[in-house]
Formats: sequence, structure tokens, C-alpha cells
Amino acid sequence: MGSVTGNFQSETPLHPAASAFLTEAFDRGWASPDKRHAESQKVAILLNEAKESLAGHLGLRREQLEILSDPAIGYHLGISGLLREGSRLLYPAISRSEVFAIAEGVPAEKLETDSRGVAQSPVGEFEDVLAWQSANAETGTIAPTPDTFAGRIFVDATASGALLPLPNRWSTALWSSRAWQGPAGVSIFAIGDRAIWRNALPHFDQRISSSDFSVPLTIASAIALDAFTADYKERRSEIRALNHEIRDFLHNEIGDVDIAGGIDATLPHLLSFSFLYIDAEILMNELDRRGFAVDSGSACNSANMEPSHVLAAMGLLTHGNIRIALHNEVNRNEVIEFLKTLQVLIAEMRA
Amino acid sequence: MELDCRGMRCPLPIIKLATALKESEEVILLSDDPATLPDLSAWARMTGNFYEVVGTNKYFVKRL
Repeated sequence: MGSVTGNFQSETPLHPAASAFLTEAFDRGWASPDKRHAESQKVAILLNEAKESLAGHLGLRREQLEILSDPAIGYHLGISGLLREGSRLLYPAISRSEVFAIAEGVPAEKLETDSRGVAQSPVGEFEDVLAWQSANAETGTIAPTPDTFAGRIFVDATASGALLPLPNRWSTALWSSRAWQGPAGVSIFAIGDRAIWRNALPHFDQRISSSDFSVPLTIASAIALDAFTADYKERRSEIRALNHEIRDFLHNEIGDVDIAGGIDATLPHLLSFSFLYIDAEILMNELDRRGFAVDSGSACNSANMEPSHVLAAMGLLTHGNIRIALHNEVNRNEVIEFLKTLQVLIAEMRA
Repeated sequence: MELDCRGMRCPLPIIKLATALKESEEVILLSDDPATLPDLSAWARMTGNFYEVVGTNKYFVKRL
């Protein structure tokens, strides 16, 4: 199988371009960019270049962008920072758990979601806040832009990365470096308009977040985004064709399968499907033994033994669920190998 | 026919249900697994059968 990685998990290895630069980044970016020493000034320049590059890819102005270490802080800064007296938080039922956690503490309304992962399109009031997800991390379903919403919009772009543009109107936005094969522990937070945002976290000066972040990892993330975007441009149509092929195979060769979203309204590299009468845990273990790593939204794979709230909200089958990511490195042979393995396993398990 | 799947985890209740429906056209399914409700709904849509919630952890299922 040669170059077969067997890795269909959402977690990817660091992009080779970033990985190659990592030692140098740690070598050159060790000093604090906030100090006056010559070495610090050099690091400040490097960091600034990295931020310029990230901002360019994400459709931001340099001054709108902040680096955070933990995306969970970004949800809080981005959503709570827009809430006011009398605000309601509106959020799709397929939002990330971090959004559910914030909604528990404030006046909030959960927006029901249909089988395509599309939430009711809310109008809201001027002071309301919409936690809008550009694409869903589990199913890859792309949300229609929130054009009709009257209030402020937080954009969760942690799944879509740089693959989808920001909507015309947005107030705050969050990305995770993992979406473009960057290092874990780097997220990008943006504020569209400083006048309508306030810092909802304890803070002691004008800085957005008092939590520190790694300059070398930020540089690595910028390199990864640059390289990932170039790779993706080159492989996009190929990956989409593979996605098509997988869908056809699942329907025609395996059957009794529930696939999340249509190919035209999902990110081409993400695919979630559930097999009727199949125990996902057994299937995952069998796949693992044969060298294929996948994710699952079934209850057996979750910490609380509850099925994925995303699958349930979309009305999709929650048992027998498998979730795969087609990374830029994936090749057709390995996908075919994977599908054939899946076909044999499903037939055995259903027998 | 009554099918007691309480204490069983997914996908067992749905598998047992499908088997039971081969013998009986109507089944009362008892299941306390949190995945049963979303899965019954998806199963009914995929297989073209009918279900209805008739009580706590209690479902009426009919083969169509």
C-alpha cells in the first residue's frame, strides 16, 4: 500500500512545511516579543509577519487578529464579549459544546436544525447575539450565511478554517490552527469592530487575553496555513471526486447507510455516515486492527455514553457512525482499500 | 408483541426490534438507552416503517 497513512481521523500530523521549520522557529522565536532587547525586537518582527500572513488568508485586517492558545477561551471572548443587558444568545442545535456551556448561563434560544444541518434562520433583535457556525466539525455541513440576522454575529470557523470566507456581516470570529494542519495550542480570534466588543474575562490591561501564547507555534501555524491552502487548491477537485466515490460506494455497495448532508453543502474533505444495525465501537476496533483510524459520533465513543448531539439534532442515525477526514495527503488507493475493508466488515457484522 | 430492551445499549434495541418485526407486525418496544429515540426516528425514515412514543421509554412500532 506504499504511501497509505490509514489516517482518516480529524487530527492530522503537523504540515510538513511547518514541521520542517519548527526547530528554527523555536530557535529564532524564543524571546518575548514585548521586550526592548534586540532579540525581542527580532521576534516581534517575526510574529508580526506571521500575523500578517494569517490575516491575509483568513480575510482579516492585521489589527483585527489576536492569537489565543486555547480555542475554548475564544468561544467565551467571542460570544460573551458581544452579550449586553437584554441580549439573547441564539445558537444552532449542532453548535459545539463550548457554545452550549455559555448558553446555560445567559438568556438563550437553541435553534432547531434540519437534516441538512441547516438551522432556522433567525431574525433576532438588534441586541441579540447569534453563534453562527460556518461549517460543522462532525458532519462538514456548510451553513447558509446569516444575512437576515439583525444582531451581532459570532463566527465559529474552527471547522472550516480558511476554506470558507467570513460572512458579509460578522462581529467576532474564531479559528483553530488544527483546521489547516497547524499545531495544536494555537487559535486565531478576531474582532470585527472594537466598539461593540467588551472583554468579558477578568483582565488587567488593554490586552484581549492575558493568557500567553507560543510565538514559535504561531509562526508554524502561519507556515502551515500557507502550505495547506496551496495544497488544497491543487487537490480540491480530486478530494471532491473521492468524496463522491465514497458516497456512491456506501449507497450502492454497502447500503442501509445514512450519510450526513449532500455533497454540495458539505466541506469536501469531511464525511460522516452511519450504518444501520452496526455497533460503532466494534467497527472502529476492527478498522483500527486493519490500520485505519477513524472517528465516531456514536454513544459508545463518547465520554458520557450519549450519542452525538449533532447527529441527533440532524435526525441522523446515531449508532454505527463513522466520521472520516480526507487529508491533503490521502490517495485514491487507500480510500478504495478502506471502502473494501468496510464492506467486508459490515457484511460480517450484519450476518 | 412486547420487546423489553431496557438496560441494553445501542445498537442492540434497534437490532432486536428489526428481528422482532419479522415475526410480528406491531411491537411495543421498551428501551431506556438515550440513543433509542433519535435512532428509532432515523430507522423509521430509512426503512419506511412507523413508530410513535407512547410513554416513558416506551414506543409503538409498526411494520409498513
